[in-house]
Amino acid sequence: MLDNLIWGYVYPNESEIQWSILIVLYPYITGLVAGAFIASSLYHVFGKKEIKPVARFALLTALSFLLVAMMPLLVHLGRPERGIEIMFTPHLTSAMSGFGYIFSFYLIIVVLEIWLSFREDIVKKALSSHGWKELLYSSLALFSFDISEETLHNDEKFARKLAIIGIPSAAFLHGYVGFIFGGIKANPWWSTPLMPIIFLMSAIVSGIALLILLYIAAMKIRKHAIDHKCLQSLAHYLWIFLILDVTLELLEIISMKYASREDIDIINRLLSDKIGFTFWGIQLTLGIFIPFILLLLVSLIKKRDTLKLIMISVSCIFVVIGVFAMRWNVVIGGQEISKSLVGTLTYVPEFFSQEGVLPAIIIFMLPFIILRVVTAILPPWKDMEEETQEHN
Amino acid sequence: MQPHLKRAFTLLALVIIAFILVRSLLVPDSFGQYGWYRGDSVNEIRNLSVNYAGSTSCGEEDCHKIIYSVWVKDRHKTVNCETCHGPAEKHVLNAREPLEKANESREYCGKCHFKEIARPEEFPQVDPETHGEDLRCVYCHNPHKPWFV
Repeated sequence: MLDNLIWGYVYPNESEIQWSILIVLYPYITGLVAGAFIASSLYHVFGKKEIKPVARFALLTALSFLLVAMMPLLVHLGRPERGIEIMFTPHLTSAMSGFGYIFSFYLIIVVLEIWLSFREDIVKKALSSHGWKELLYSSLALFSFDISEETLHNDEKFARKLAIIGIPSAAFLHGYVGFIFGGIKANPWWSTPLMPIIFLMSAIVSGIALLILLYIAAMKIRKHAIDHKCLQSLAHYLWIFLILDVTLELLEIISMKYASREDIDIINRLLSDKIGFTFWGIQLTLGIFIPFILLLLVSLIKKRDTLKLIMISVSCIFVVIGVFAMRWNVVIGGQEISKSLVGTLTYVPEFFSQEGVLPAIIIFMLPFIILRVVTAILPPWKDMEEETQEHN
Repeated sequence: MQPHLKRAFTLLALVIIAFILVRSLLVPDSFGQYGWYRGDSVNEIRNLSVNYAGSTSCGEEDCHKIIYSVWVKDRHKTVNCETCHGPAEKHVLNAREPLEKANESREYCGKCHFKEIARPEEFPQVDPETHGEDLRCVYCHNPHKPWFV
């Protein structure tokens, strides 16, 4: 059986693929965090008013996914209680040692940003409710109930400054994941300085697509009209970032093919055989080219909002699947070629094991549950629904 | 600074101080003494009791001389007695201390002899699905003289 999974010459320590579907999930989730945060910054920092309905919702989405971002790693570790040691005794010559600190710094920024943008609502709720709710909201307000206009104005200014720090740290959080792969010089499929920026662009793409899907789903569940101006504006940004993303991804392949270094034979085999379908089929065709054309049509067609809504939804579903395929192709693809450069391996995911598909599905469902809880405590619906009514 | 921001930053400062405190409690004092590990572990490992006696001690005292003389000349001479029979130091010091039963399972032999692509071709390997049905390997092979079927 093993013979079918291995081709050519591989080293003894390669016969088992160590980084499993959980390690595919980790950059996927951090990417969604970075993308959602950057989508909210379009309003908070760059003042794109049309994004306002989803700006606070995007922050909550970023937080929900951020809280789960380290879980695939902890489950993969097998000894999750040792995970904290990366913060207690970080080995500074390893890029991985930065994770705990970068993650924590970003978490602080996101929590502060959410707190400032929801503070008015929190204080109002604290003052109008009783019992445990009053206690909950009062503690969330840190027992400081000043919501005079001047204070709120200052809060807004401060939140903006935070968002300005937040963008580079979101970029850093995700670019760093790409850096870890890009820095593995022994692996020709990973080792490229383009890796951080490719990861970042696909992160933004997946984050915006997910945000659009969540927005549409939330509005459908709450039986409220969708703000098409906001939706189409998000779709427009998605389209722009898709172009940047595909440019970088193709640039990497083209320069690899043109330079044709000693590793090109194994890269060709990887792209034509091992990950041929997931790379050309899912990552590029389904995940980028089809959404690219659909979103182009969305910007060309006039009126017909329902058709556009369907086209945008389909594009976003394809994009989130395509970006998952991209993470798969990087993480699994890189391990399917042998360091000998004349052999390949095959990763067969298990379903029930600790490194299997089932824990990956469970971990991926958690952010949605967290988002449900967080939006119950801090409802962002007011922005979404008020804006739509104004338009109507 | 406004009072609510002051409170938020005080809370943040408290969290950071708590982290530093917990870290100073949990990181062992001898960490980093010699390198990126707990310095005391060197002494602790040195003071661990010896469990293995080495293969020569099995054949030395006329105890298991015959089986030793068979093993030492055959293909399995690179596999120490204690690899299958378990740690023997206590048994060597006091013959009344029994040894654990030797591991005779099919999977245990398979750790070296089940077919694996990464092993050198000339190394004896079998496909567990087609070779020997489900019998234990020792049913046919003598582990002390493996070609003696």
